[in-house]
Amino acid sequence: MRQVSLKDLALSDQKRSARVEALREAYFRAVPEVCCERPRLVTGYSRDKGLFGKPVLSPLDKARLYRHVLENRQPVVAHDYGVGRDMQPFQVKARSLFAGSTTSHFKGVPMFPEYMGLAIWPELLNIKQRASNPYFLADDDVAVLNEEVFPYWLGDSIIERCRTRMNKERTGEPIGSHDAPEMVLLEYLVFFLTSKGNCISHTIPDFSKVLRVGLRGIIEEAQQRGRNAEEPEQRDFYTAIAEAMEGIVSFSRNLAREARRLAGLTSDAAEKAELLTLADVNERVPEYPARSFREGLTTVWVCWTAIHLENPDVGLSLGRLDQVLYDLYRHDVEAGALSIDQAIELLCCLWLKIGDHVPTVPATGEQLFGGTGSNQAITVGGVDAEGRDAVNDLTYLMIRATELMMLRDPNLNARYFSGVNPPAYLRRLCDVNLNTGATPALHNDRAVIAALTAKGDTIEQARDYGITGCVEPGSNGRFYGATAAVLLNLTSVLELTLYNGEHRHTGPGVLISERTGDAASFASFDAFKTAFVRQASWMVDRATTLNEALGRTHQDVYPTPILSSLFEGPMEKGKDLIFGGASINSSGASIIGFADVVDSLAAIQKVVFEDKAIALPALIQALNANFVGQDVLLARLCNPDKTPKYGNEQPAADSLARWLATTLDGLFARKTNYRGGRYRVGYWTMTNHAGFGRLSRATPNGRRDGENFTSGMTPVSGVTPSLTKALHSVASLPSALLANGVAVNLKYTPDNAHRDKMLDNFVASVEGYFDPAPGGQGGMEIQFNVTTHDTFVDAVKNPQKYPELLVRVSGYTAYFKDLNPQMQQEIIDRTEYDLGTGRAVEFSRTGSSV
Amino acid sequence: MTRVKHFLFKLLSWFLPDRIARRLMRKEIEDLQRALEGTLTDKFLEILLGGMGLAFLLLRGFRRNLAGFSGRYLFRTADGTVAAGARFASGHMHVLHEADNAYDVAVTFKDPAALRKFLFSKDQDILASILVNEVSVDGNLNYIYKFGFMARDLVNRLGVA
Repeated sequence: MRQVSLKDLALSDQKRSARVEALREAYFRAVPEVCCERPRLVTGYSRDKGLFGKPVLSPLDKARLYRHVLENRQPVVAHDYGVGRDMQPFQVKARSLFAGSTTSHFKGVPMFPEYMGLAIWPELLNIKQRASNPYFLADDDVAVLNEEVFPYWLGDSIIERCRTRMNKERTGEPIGSHDAPEMVLLEYLVFFLTSKGNCISHTIPDFSKVLRVGLRGIIEEAQQRGRNAEEPEQRDFYTAIAEAMEGIVSFSRNLAREARRLAGLTSDAAEKAELLTLADVNERVPEYPARSFREGLTTVWVCWTAIHLENPDVGLSLGRLDQVLYDLYRHDVEAGALSIDQAIELLCCLWLKIGDHVPTVPATGEQLFGGTGSNQAITVGGVDAEGRDAVNDLTYLMIRATELMMLRDPNLNARYFSGVNPPAYLRRLCDVNLNTGATPALHNDRAVIAALTAKGDTIEQARDYGITGCVEPGSNGRFYGATAAVLLNLTSVLELTLYNGEHRHTGPGVLISERTGDAASFASFDAFKTAFVRQASWMVDRATTLNEALGRTHQDVYPTPILSSLFEGPMEKGKDLIFGGASINSSGASIIGFADVVDSLAAIQKVVFEDKAIALPALIQALNANFVGQDVLLARLCNPDKTPKYGNEQPAADSLARWLATTLDGLFARKTNYRGGRYRVGYWTMTNHAGFGRLSRATPNGRRDGENFTSGMTPVSGVTPSLTKALHSVASLPSALLANGVAVNLKYTPDNAHRDKMLDNFVASVEGYFDPAPGGQGGMEIQFNVTTHDTFVDAVKNPQKYPELLVRVSGYTAYFKDLNPQMQQEIIDRTEYDLGTGRAVEFSRTGSSV
Repeated sequence: MTRVKHFLFKLLSWFLPDRIARRLMRKEIEDLQRALEGTLTDKFLEILLGGMGLAFLLLRGFRRNLAGFSGRYLFRTADGTVAAGARFASGHMHVLHEADNAYDVAVTFKDPAALRKFLFSKDQDILASILVNEVSVDGNLNYIYKFGFMARDLVNRLGVA
């Protein structure tokens, strides 16, 4: 069988089965329910075993804890009920082909009191009524969380342990003194965020080994290595692997037992057979090697639920499932044991299972950064470790399943290597973007592989990259990259430069960083740039200092034996991931506000220092006044013909973009993280560009107070009239500087009357963007929204009409209705291109739609 | 409140239905209502802590929040014109009428109205005020989450909007 044997790559005959249709209807109907099962089990065990307050928890402590949780979880084979928007239960009228779920609910909110779970404590009594994305929480569960769970974690959450750790290191006292400056900066939320208070996650496990040898094989290897290990820590670590894996085996067996029990209760022959099959599969896997496609998918699913018990549901990603499962799929199809209909139904059921939870987000999170799912990326296509075309039939089946389901999670990412992958594949990817309006995101293998090898990955590792979370590339099962370790608001660096170490958000007279010169003192643009670099260096130092402190806190109390067992490196090194067990141990920083800062620097260079049209202090006064009474200046700053803008192939702006990316790469490259790895820099923003924008005042590029910053690495909306020039500008940035991934968000006007022509142009735009200029690698990533402006505006006014309207934010996919108003406006305001002309459609920056 | 009165109130709460307890707290409830509506803003902190202290004595269900809990809170304005504290230990709440620098968490607020917004925002969202720089927190934020729950629980039990 050839890798691609399908006659119709679109699989047009494939539809959602009745089972999938019913489950999907329930999925969209259900609101998330806060799940108390995990926190109750974790807290109870930790209390009984005296783990609270212990300065150090070993991998073995954690493995025993998770084994306890896995053995005592309620084995839910199928959910009979979900909870609707009226907070009333409704019946789920179908059963998935996979048993078990991430939480105990049909659509759940996993709770991690170890991290930021306590942030919803004040909301427990009214979380059902909150304005944005309410959760269901039963009254009994309010009492469980308030009385039996949260009180135990008051002093034991990661962020609190880190705070006291930093205070002790500074003053010798954990409390009663002012918090470390880095912690204070974090709480302002306008300088940087560090995700380690909430998770590390953001990685891809290695499923290939468990599919091949089963958990029993991993246990036996760990036991063997443990017998030969000389160091007690290593022996304990191998014991921890065995403990954790036994827990997963028990969980799957419990599911099988429950399925068999349910089969005994039904008189319906078909239902009985289905339940018995389910029981057989879960009895076999993941303990033993998978023999069929269904067993392979079940292995992935059961391990995935276990990984999510240990690691918060933030950016954990599944990697190249079309590669690791292809042999099983091919075997079944060749043996006549699996039809395409069956395979599609299995994939659709798995997709729904993957999307069965949402992260815990407090109300502020919803207001500032809301609408996110768990950002579980799946990667398809691209090349194999030898550089050969890796697109196969299963690639197309996964694409079709995504197209049929239109779900927020999983977040599909497609790799494309021009000249190696077939053009028909790229055409199909663009076709699906037209059909779904938002997915999959497209990644240029040539550029991504070059970026990863530039940071030290071997060529084979780099070729086997998958996408983590939003858009971050990393070698499957080898890359423990903490890709969201630092989210740095670059516009605050500009602010500190303009205001001599102060920030308008924190108020005048409050020195935040260091004095680098009054605005009037800069004799040249180079002098201003020098000050900017000093402020950037200061901010990078602060953000990485906090990240390192949090990382060491993780080392104290949050080893991850489950994830470590399903990864390349820890078994060989005898070391948990958190201590550097992975093959690749980088940390990731992502920059927010890149385009706004490039354009602001270009404006200062041109308008202040070259044209001398206004002095810098006067420009600052205009910023303070939010450009009120400064119409002429504002018009000049916003006009790309008068003030260079990134995204127009204007050398003045594009060279600043390159300088800025080079500077940031250099500043982060100086740092070594607590696992011995290096920092990688990326440019994706999720919804942070809207959140940070809301907190930030006017900027020199003509952006007014509180307006959104621009997403990812995309040029600023409304100032780049030519699509080709915009793409060329972005693609000109060297991918070696962007190894933590980029999100380039484009909006195309749908043209259903000339769909084929539009598809041709769509493909051409991607080919052009990926095509390397001499000496370059081409653009790294691109993602789209293909929905009319009018539809978005109507969806703001009538959200109930568009429950399934899927959008690309800046990396992940989201339902438009779930986004906060500011983020909705950002998507509406994005530059929209007509592919027929390659020009931006008329753009009005009114901000009035929302 | 004297120890004897304290003891008697607590004893009484074992027999008192909540509706009777609420009747006994009528003045505190009215004050709290006015404070939340903004007509008694200057005394918001005093009223809240006082009401909470009394509710812990009279409302048995509310007292469950104290079980096993110990914590020291300091509330103050940046200019030092308003300062008060609360100590929770051994199933009791003690209101302090002046600043005590031995705390688990200190909340510094622009003015009492900002503190009111901080504790009783629409979605009980205590991070929102930090974001707009009206409130800053030094110390263990988890204690603020706990206090935020107790404050909401209090107004729910007292039937204050």
